Amino acid sequence: MANILAVVEHRQGAVRDITYELLTFGRKLAEKTDGKLTGVLLGHNVDNLTDNLKKHVHRLIVADHDVFKDFNGDVYQQALADIIKKENPFLTLIGNTAFGIDFCPSLATHLGVPFTTDCIDAEIADSGIRVTRQLYDGKMDTHMKLSESPSYMLTMRSGTCPAEEGNLSAEMQKIESPITTQPSYKKFIEYIEAAVGDVDITKADVLVGVGRGIKEQANLSMVEDFAKAIGGVVACSRPIVDANWLPKDRQVGSSGKTVKPKLYIAVGISGAFQHIAGMKNADTIIAINKDSNAPIFNEADYGIVDDLFKVLPALKSKIMELKK
Amino acid sequence: MNFDLTNDQKMLQEEVRKYAQTELAPLAPEIDKSGEFPWASIKKMAQLGLLGVIVPEQYGGSGFDFVSLAIAIEEISRACASTGVIVAVNNSLTTYPIVQFGSEEQKKKYLPSLCNGQKIGAFGLTEPNAGSDVAGMESTAKLDGGHYILNGTKRFITNGGEAGTFVVFAYTNRELKHKGISAFIVERDTPGFSLGNHEDLMGIRATANCELIFEDVKVPKENILGNEGDGFKICMNTLDVSRIDIGAQAVGIAQASLDEAVKYSKERKAFGQPVCNFQMIQSMIADMATQIQAARLLVHYAGYCKDKGMQRFSKESAMSKYYASDIAVDVARKAVQIHGGYGYSKDYTVERLYRDAKILELYEGTSEVQKIVIARELTR
Amino acid sequence: MDLIVCIKRVPQTAEAEVRVDSSGKDIVKDRLTFDMNEADTYALEAAILLKEKFGGTITAISLGVADAEDTLRIALAKGADSAVRIKAEDFGELDGFKTAALLKEVIKDIKFDAIFTGCMATDDSYYQVGPVLAEMLGVPHATLVSKVEVSEEKVRVNRELEGGLIEHLEMSLPAVFAVQTGINEPRYASLIAIRRAAGKEIKILGKEDIPVETKTNSTLEELFVPPVGKRAEILTGSADEVAARTAGIIKEKGLI
Ligand SMILES: Cc1cc2nc3c(=O)[nH]c(=O)nc-3n(C[C@H](O)[C@H](O)[C@H](O)COP(=O)(O)OP(=O)(O)OC[C@H]3O[C@@H](n4cnc5c(N)ncnc54)[C@H](O)[C@@H]3O)c2cc1C
Ligand SMILES: Cc1cc2nc3c(=O)[nH]c(=O)nc-3n(C[C@H](O)[C@H](O)[C@H](O)COP(=O)(O)OP(=O)(O)OC[C@H]3O[C@@H](n4cnc5c(N)ncnc54)[C@H](O)[C@@H]3O)c2cc1C
Repeated sequence: MANILAVVEHRQGAVRDITYELLTFGRKLAEKTDGKLTGVLLGHNVDNLTDNLKKHVHRLIVADHDVFKDFNGDVYQQALADIIKKENPFLTLIGNTAFGIDFCPSLATHLGVPFTTDCIDAEIADSGIRVTRQLYDGKMDTHMKLSESPSYMLTMRSGTCPAEEGNLSAEMQKIESPITTQPSYKKFIEYIEAAVGDVDITKADVLVGVGRGIKEQANLSMVEDFAKAIGGVVACSRPIVDANWLPKDRQVGSSGKTVKPKLYIAVGISGAFQHIAGMKNADTIIAINKDSNAPIFNEADYGIVDDLFKVLPALKSKIMELKK
Repeated sequence: MNFDLTNDQKMLQEEVRKYAQTELAPLAPEIDKSGEFPWASIKKMAQLGLLGVIVPEQYGGSGFDFVSLAIAIEEISRACASTGVIVAVNNSLTTYPIVQFGSEEQKKKYLPSLCNGQKIGAFGLTEPNAGSDVAGMESTAKLDGGHYILNGTKRFITNGGEAGTFVVFAYTNRELKHKGISAFIVERDTPGFSLGNHEDLMGIRATANCELIFEDVKVPKENILGNEGDGFKICMNTLDVSRIDIGAQAVGIAQASLDEAVKYSKERKAFGQPVCNFQMIQSMIADMATQIQAARLLVHYAGYCKDKGMQRFSKESAMSKYYASDIAVDVARKAVQIHGGYGYSKDYTVERLYRDAKILELYEGTSEVQKIVIARELTR
Repeated sequence: MDLIVCIKRVPQTAEAEVRVDSSGKDIVKDRLTFDMNEADTYALEAAILLKEKFGGTITAISLGVADAEDTLRIALAKGADSAVRIKAEDFGELDGFKTAALLKEVIKDIKFDAIFTGCMATDDSYYQVGPVLAEMLGVPHATLVSKVEVSEEKVRVNRELEGGLIEHLEMSLPAVFAVQTGINEPRYASLIAIRRAAGKEIKILGKEDIPVETKTNSTLEELFVPPVGKRAEILTGSADEVAARTAGIIKEKGLI
């Protein structure tokens, strides 16, 4: 019987999508062994969040305290250490997000629990845990077995287990917060919203996403031209923003914007999962990449395996013809 | 016997390659098209110490040896042939003769600004009526009090249109034939100096290749390199060194051609398979790789001869330049061949590489001249 | 400030073909190029910027095979003062946890104000080393760091969250910062710096110098090419034909 604990991720008053993915995944895993899934919600004035959460877990532990008002990885670590020691779950699940990776590795180390991060699948095997992870820019998968232990911890990549509707009605257990003040050595000050630019890529019907394959800032004008021809807007992958070639508000992906255009054309983008996370819900995805093994082709509807510098101008002129 | 690069050479190669591939390669097609002299790249390369690779540190240089310079030039040229020769000219045709033959005052005065990117250097030897035949030059420099009065026209001068410091050759005494040639350091803003025709070149199009016109240019007496009559010797010694770098440039262009050809041959399909499966394509690729390897070894060996302090390495240097330029043209041609019709289109890099490669057999002594040098060394 | 930067040399696989080797547990590496892990280049630059402002020293540490010394030398040329290689070949299978444990054994004897690591390595995609190392050393940490601003004893830190939101923190030193890419402009090493660094000694530590038992959390069982799920329909033909088909598809969707 494998009892599983899953940590609820929420921010600025809303439960994040990863939470329902984790809960769906955790519940399936628990039920396979007649175990139970327990959710842990650390927050302040979060009663409005619990109704929906209760549908996804067998039991929901809630610690309500203003120390949890905003996220501080260290506060989470201390509180969860306490809860996990008491609950003694077989497996603790956390999202592999900016939230989860800030405390899972140190928490597991603190507890002496074998753990690993960024899993895309996990199964209970020979009374232990076997996970699937992705290596080398998504070009390899690996199966790994965690070391024998009565208890494990994993972070799961978002988007790997689609969230399902919940039909449970969990009992809720309010607990005293194990921690009441932020530590002096790490204090949350504020959230700073991303600057708003002149273009809102989340509103566009057609996005031309450009990646590192463009090679050089000067080549962006070609992409701009193309986008204009097709009546779309230029978006990009993270390295383009890292290089300061386009502003942050054009970035698509987990640390950028999530977009749902009617058409997304990925130009010279390899298809790292952080990028996919931001555009996989586009109605139609066309990818142009010269590497036929690029992971983007596993996400796209149509693929063109060729040099973007050849394809874009040709495509632009065809589109101009059709427009006439 | 040891073929390993030293630690610093390995690092230099890795770092210059990274810089050149990320920052220079993307600009190469652009400046080939526009002919714009890449000043921004030059300033950045100055910061990295690539303009004064062999110049001692006390004059603002990097203090490396000649094998290292060849490695740097290969990597830069692999990304952009224009930038490669711009840097080669600054290093081995301008800073080198000043380091080797200049007075302490001249080194202090001219080397720092050539290393820090404030100025770029040029080498004025060729004239409208004198190329291979150096002694056929017509420029003259007459001593008049504290100055030499310089008159003449120099043709085909790489960096000429943008350079601030020139090494220029002229007769101080025509009677003495080549022993009457002297070398001078001339500054751009000297009255009487002007630019002539800008060359519209087939390749290396961003190199500000320009005619230099000297009309009663007053060059201060102290700007003579060495003594009166040393010019020919300075010229020949400088070319012995600089030809190694043209060899290196050739290896870089050839390597870029091979890289493109291999990549394309794996992508392009004909008769239901990638063209790299065809034996005739494989034969070309094998030849290209072997030629490049041989050329690179000749280049490194010539640099090694100079570094070791060998007095005469004209033969080794000429061999490296002759062979490397020869194979670079051949390798670039094969790269175009492997690309089929696409190789003849400006959409593909090999079209530029083929145009860029041809100059290698012409400047700093044509291939014919290299063979003369080699044969003369063997028969003298 | 005395700073430590943890650096990994990794194969560059974004544009390369990656194949499983005969052991089934590793990739064929002989034709790949290797370089400093991308996030680590930003970690190093962040440390150099702090050193330029406040003075002090930078120690670069890499757990890796002999080639990692090339990467460490580049770090020395860019601004590190000393470098240590932990001999990966002495320690068998590694994961993020064990890597951190070995780094800790070396770092515990060095005085430091801050440690910089990359937020993850592109080869094994663990996000572990920074936070685990911090926990083992008993100092605070932040991951996905996009800014570190030091004044007096306090440090202002930005973390980059999903959607570009920034989490702004105040931390005290010593601490570990696992930095995100794009946070500064990593420099190239100048030739002079390369020449000076080439001669510097790199301290090499092996099993006999680190005589503790370190264990991994996990064992790699097999490596395999990801099964293709939905695969794109690949459009083939000349550039012109492909362009025509693509334009046709876009038109069908009513977008032209
Ligand atoms: C915490 C975290 C958050 C992140 N968040 C995001 C995010 O929000 N968004 C994001 O995008 N990334 C994000 N990343 C980065 C992500 O992991 C990848 O590094 C990034 O997406 C890669 O961008 P890319 O595809 O443009 O570049 P690369 O992976 O370098 O791919 C370039 C592609 O271009 C192709 N190419 C090259 N030349 C040509 C040509 N001439 N013609 C055609 N194709 C060509 C190549 O084959 C290659 O596939 C994040 C990373 C981390 C660690
Ligand atoms: C792009 C470019 C950049 C240049 N940059 C510079 C520069 O920076 N500084 C500079 O001073 N010059 C420069 N030059 C000039 C270059 O070095 C000369 O063009 C070259 O030395 C050949 O001289 P020439 O053109 O007068 O040809 P010529 O000497 O007229 O030769 C014509 C032909 O006759 C052959 N030939 C000549 N003599 C003999 C002989 N004895 N035996 C057999 N064959 C012979 C030659 O090999 C050639 O095939 C540059 C030229 C070009 C095109």
